[in-house]
Amino acid sequence: MKDAVRIQQEDFSQDEEIKALQASSKRMGGIATFIGCARDFSEGREVTEISFDAYGSMAVAEMNKLRDEAMTRFGLLDARIVHRVGVIGAGEQIVFIAAGAEHRAPALQACHWLIDELKQCVPIWKKEVTPQGDAWVTPHP
Amino acid sequence: MIKVLFFGPVAERVGASEVQVKFHAGMILQDVRAHLQALHPEAFEIVCFAAVNGAHIHDMSLPLADYSEVVFMSRFSGG
Repeated sequence: MKDAVRIQQEDFSQDEEIKALQASSKRMGGIATFIGCARDFSEGREVTEISFDAYGSMAVAEMNKLRDEAMTRFGLLDARIVHRVGVIGAGEQIVFIAAGAEHRAPALQACHWLIDELKQCVPIWKKEVTPQGDAWVTPHP
Repeated sequence: MIKVLFFGPVAERVGASEVQVKFHAGMILQDVRAHLQALHPEAFEIVCFAAVNGAHIHDMSLPLADYSEVVFMSRFSGG
């Protein structure tokens, strides 16, 4: 089985990730998922692809810390986080988060919390490639 | 030697993803930052975070050991 927390160049299958999550416990009554995708338009410009750079070892360590904290904070039964790096075309998947809990509320809250924290704490950077040139993305507050 | 890594927009402004800084006894993180900032001021305009051996560091007076891995990073934009 693939690791619950990964950084990878290749695309991921949400079906496989959810199956892996469900395999961890039959007590799971709610699973919340988030998929971040590459938009083809940003800041008034057409975007053809997004290039991701990461401090890989630290990024995986930080993602594992977030998963551990979410498990404790929200009483999750399991959680999975997958983030792609490299060049990702418009419309493709970037990041996958799944949180499984006994009930829906903590699963939904944990999923929301995880993506917000990932954006703040995980050393990954994205550059939008546009017909007018490339530009590193300045994070939104 | 101290290995210094750069990623994303900082690497682009430095023009390299890795540089070496000569270690000396009593060296602290701020010494490395000051040395590189003088060489690449435009890159350090966007540096917000530092890490040593994979851990976030907020105290720039942290003593460094020889062969430490240091990273100066801009704000993250993953997800």
